[in-house]
Amino acid sequence: MNTRVLDGQVVLVTGAAAGVGRGVAVAMARAGAVVGIGVRRPEVAADVADEVRDAGGTPVLLRCDVTDAIQSADAIGLLVAEHGRLDALVHNAVSNRSSEPTDFEHASLELWEEHASVTVRATWRLAVQAHAHLRVTQGAYLLMTSPAGIEGSAPLPFYSAVKAAQRGFVRALAREWGPDGIRVNSVAPLAISPALENLKATDPERVARIEGLVPLGRLGDPSTDIGPPSVFLCSQEARYVTGQTLVVSGGRFTSL
Amino acid sequence: MTALIIGDSGIAHGIAHAIAAGTLAQNRAVAALADTDVLDDPERTARALATLIGDEPVDLVVFAHLDPTGFVSAALTDISEEAWDQACERSLRQAFVALQQVYSLVADGTPVVLVLPNVGAVGVAGLVALCSAVEGIRVMAKAVARRWGVRSITVNTIEVDLATFMLGGADDPGAAALLPQVPVLGAPALPVAPILDDVMGLIGFFASPAGQAVTGAFLMADRGTVMLP
Repeated sequence: MNTRVLDGQVVLVTGAAAGVGRGVAVAMARAGAVVGIGVRRPEVAADVADEVRDAGGTPVLLRCDVTDAIQSADAIGLLVAEHGRLDALVHNAVSNRSSEPTDFEHASLELWEEHASVTVRATWRLAVQAHAHLRVTQGAYLLMTSPAGIEGSAPLPFYSAVKAAQRGFVRALAREWGPDGIRVNSVAPLAISPALENLKATDPERVARIEGLVPLGRLGDPSTDIGPPSVFLCSQEARYVTGQTLVVSGGRFTSL
Repeated sequence: MTALIIGDSGIAHGIAHAIAAGTLAQNRAVAALADTDVLDDPERTARALATLIGDEPVDLVVFAHLDPTGFVSAALTDISEEAWDQACERSLRQAFVALQQVYSLVADGTPVVLVLPNVGAVGVAGLVALCSAVEGIRVMAKAVARRWGVRSITVNTIEVDLATFMLGGADDPGAAALLPQVPVLGAPALPVAPILDDVMGLIGFFASPAGQAVTGAFLMADRGTVMLP
């Protein structure tokens, strides 16, 4: 199998400073891509660029707070200006508060807005901003959603709702953009996060309990477990796949 | 007892009329919140519900509302940020506000039923905003079903075809023909039948003792038009 399936291709990953976004960016680099590393503070993300370079990709650090329409437009514009094309856009960024338990019964509209602006509105806006470029390359738009957006999470009701909205978005936009040759898919990962890494140090038994629910016995590694399926969906290897959500959870979620 | 119906969709009006006409096994008064602009603000919603309900105990809640601008077919790239907000995010916010206020209003054990169109399950070109909103609300309902189970409040979702959602089962084939079509592989499996009757049957089930162990469920009442894997 050709592991350099993205050779010569240009990919933008949002929320690439840490966690799943960083892992996906590195996996894109291993596949040979020029990787636009979309982060809110590029001045503190040089290590991500180094990791992308070490993996065999060409890094382009981009200031890209996805709640800022100008920043996201500029990030796409700069990447295309420097490298001539955009083959895939991976929208991974989420609210900083996405993993905080939400008291739905007393939560404010302001908190809702924090979730929606990053996950719902930016999903729409990035699509609009990337469409012309993706049409030229017959490219792919990939959303990083969540199993919570499929089965609903009691502690994370806002996160569940906005991630579910992305799945409706994927299904509908795949139909709308199919005639343009653009594929639209999503990945629902279960992966080790920076928060879980911290928990592993302070409460390893709890992490072990979580891992015990996964048939494969561990939480996914962002780069080596979540990255390859994401690369696949962005590559021509998946040229007949659109409108789908791929659950990458080590078998934790089997009913989705 | 009182059934609270939230929404100004055709199906919300149809359900309100059906309950008022005594369709369900247990007779109920109907309190209909059709001025959905109040759902933009939690405090206005609370006041409107207090005025509407008074001291009457609510033993059934039906939410069947989406911002109507979402039904207008448009290419995603032609939609302004304001239009996106109206067609998608406003519906999500209003569902959140409605469900949040319902929680503090109802007694333990009250069934909550959401009725939505089946577009989110398959996706419809031109209706990306609507499909996003529907799926978001559907899973929001699952999340609150998990939360509210401790109070024996059940939360379930029924999905109907788009025409029924908008027109409420009114016999208007001319209007229905103008609506965006949900892509399906073939004709509905069942012959033409009044879907509102089926919706009322399902609501009656959720509101009955037989349905008190069912929560977080999602059922299609569309004559077998969309069959999920």
